[in-house]
Amino acid sequence: MTTIAMPNIPFRYPAPIEREIEQLATLFAQTPALTDYPARWLAIQALEGDEALLAEIEAGGDSRVKAALAASLERLRAVYGDEIDIVMVDQRYRFVHDIAIRAVTRPATPPATLSDRIDRIVTHRWLGIPIFLVVMWLVFKLTTDVAAPFVDWLDRVLSGPVSRWVSGLLHLVGAGGGWFEALLIDGVLAGVGGVLAFVPVLLTLYFALALLEDSGYMARAAFVMDRVMRLFGLHGKSFLPMIVGFGCSVPAIYATRTLDSRRDRILTGLLVPFMSCSARLPVYVLITMIFFPQYAGHVIFALYLIGIATAVGVGALLRGLLFRQQPATPFVLELPPYRLPAPGNIWRQMWERTSAFVRKAGTIILTASIVVWLLLAIPVGGEGQFANTPVEQSAFAGLARATTPVFAPLGFGNWESSGALVTGLIAKEVVVGTLTQVYTGGEAAADDTAAMTLSEDLVLIVGDFGAAVGEALRALVGMVGFEIGAALEEPVTTGLAAAIQVGLATSSNGHGELAALAFLVFVLLYTPCVATLAASRHEFGLRWMLVSLVGQFVIAWLAALLVFQGGLALGIRLPL
Amino acid sequence: MSEIVVALAGNPNVGKSTIFNALTGLHQHVGNWPGKTVERKEGRLLLNGKTVTVVDLPGAYSLAARSLEEQIARDFIARGRPDLVVNVVDAANLERNLYLTAQLLETGVPLLLALNMTDIAASRGIVINPAALSAGLGVPVTLLAASRGEGISALKATMAEMLARLKSSKQMREVAA
Repeated sequence: MTTIAMPNIPFRYPAPIEREIEQLATLFAQTPALTDYPARWLAIQALEGDEALLAEIEAGGDSRVKAALAASLERLRAVYGDEIDIVMVDQRYRFVHDIAIRAVTRPATPPATLSDRIDRIVTHRWLGIPIFLVVMWLVFKLTTDVAAPFVDWLDRVLSGPVSRWVSGLLHLVGAGGGWFEALLIDGVLAGVGGVLAFVPVLLTLYFALALLEDSGYMARAAFVMDRVMRLFGLHGKSFLPMIVGFGCSVPAIYATRTLDSRRDRILTGLLVPFMSCSARLPVYVLITMIFFPQYAGHVIFALYLIGIATAVGVGALLRGLLFRQQPATPFVLELPPYRLPAPGNIWRQMWERTSAFVRKAGTIILTASIVVWLLLAIPVGGEGQFANTPVEQSAFAGLARATTPVFAPLGFGNWESSGALVTGLIAKEVVVGTLTQVYTGGEAAADDTAAMTLSEDLVLIVGDFGAAVGEALRALVGMVGFEIGAALEEPVTTGLAAAIQVGLATSSNGHGELAALAFLVFVLLYTPCVATLAASRHEFGLRWMLVSLVGQFVIAWLAALLVFQGGLALGIRLPL
Repeated sequence: MSEIVVALAGNPNVGKSTIFNALTGLHQHVGNWPGKTVERKEGRLLLNGKTVTVVDLPGAYSLAARSLEEQIARDFIARGRPDLVVNVVDAANLERNLYLTAQLLETGVPLLLALNMTDIAASRGIVINPAALSAGLGVPVTLLAASRGEGISALKATMAEMLARLKSSKQMREVAA
């Protein structure tokens, strides 16, 4: 059934155009291939010159339709020249304007809104970028200094009481002491627990990002950064997906859909993974707390900046090499009004993102931890038995050693670090999990000799938590500028920290700090995770996914080389 | 009987996702930031005992398919022919928002104008006459301040009423044919 009933449209185009619309619409309605579309609408789009729809008409219409369209355009050109589309758009605006005049009353002098006044400062030509940097710096101070005491607390709880409880329970049911206990404690608890301990960091980061986003500041950040992006020939709109990338690269890759051309989408998709995602943060926190406890916030902030700088630099390079041509399209971004962040909204975002992280810990990271544990449990060479073999003689060590030559020039060519980077391809949190497993394998199980009663454990947990709150508050006050006992932070002294320190010091011939820095830069720049690869394959195809994978590895390797060898050559001793 | 589909369309950052969440009870990420929804999201809503599928379309300033998100919105409206399109507009920037409305009218889909952010408009001293708006466009207009949860039940009522009316007129047409 085809009805050619014209929808009741309250406005008309000038008579010559209206005549052609009616003729074409009647024809389109009788053309089977085009009945998907509303006929009048299709006629209007065709006259306006919509390329995609013209192509469909060309493909689906018979010769009569094509001839009619050509004739219509010919007749209209005689009247309007090349401005048919302008006349039509103008008619729509006139219609809209007339309605607005009748329906809207505005105050004679629009009050300068608070948003406008804030924007005059925040998006100021010179102040905009420094303000953006200060905001970022505060965010990372918050995520390191304020969240760190809670990470320590959670870590102590998981490796102490919780491990003891699991072990105790197993002994109760008669399954203690065997490989199953080792799997649960050295594999699952060390791997997954080591990652879960960073939940406070992520909660803080997600809180800060939600606050910035909901208040409307994020859109300003993109606006401010447009000028920087433009200096490097990038499109300002590219910065929005990149800001999303601070949270997670996967949605950031999908966010490239807001860009207008496929080239811009691919280019931005290649750059997004350089933006430091939240999954890398646990690695940064772990390593900086061990090697640069006093400067953790500064180092992490610098890493984020290196990520942005790399993205901008690589972007400029790619644009010059692969995507030359085409003038930059103008950047139009609507700045939403500032508003007080809605607590419900903030909470929902924190909750959703954090629970996604915890889910990931329960699936991908759990699987990776078990696989790593198995590889650690299988003896190759030596006289160890399954689940009772020195780590250096495990299958994991054997496999990891094969990759060490690649990382040796970067200062972290010990098999523990190399192995963690390889498993880190699955997800960045796994780097932390693997390091914990490799270095604390066997230790945790031996820890349970200390006979603690349940109530003693609980007192310890609660007391520790109180101490963590105190430390966090001190850090919060310290951020505002009152340095109260700031020097109290002592270097992490747990077995894991000492082992990582020794490991990197050995692999770098005594330049552990430089190696740590190079390691962090490498973690920042290489492929974030397999999910990102899947997303980029989905959006851009296999070829671009491979470009991204290989390109990031090369860039990460070169950057880490620069940090380590450059640092050695200049004789830099860290911390400065 | 085929399912009833209602699409939410509008410029970026006018509160479509907030309205979508309020209608469907889902928790789609809401951001104060244009371009948050890059693919269409679906949810269900029970209206007068009937299940209605609600589709949240990416924000678009026009139906010209320049970016992928605008393409998604246009294809869904022009080819998918939802039973009803709820056009969410920002009361504080009405004139600019209405350009898309004009284009939606041209597609001939049944349209309902959801005038959102009336609270922000009021705080800026902007007064809107819904009757004049409705008369000029020839479509029903309903007022909301969705971020405060105001106007959602009125929106639902208008949606139910329009869907019922559309259904009976469709049946009449089919009987006539």
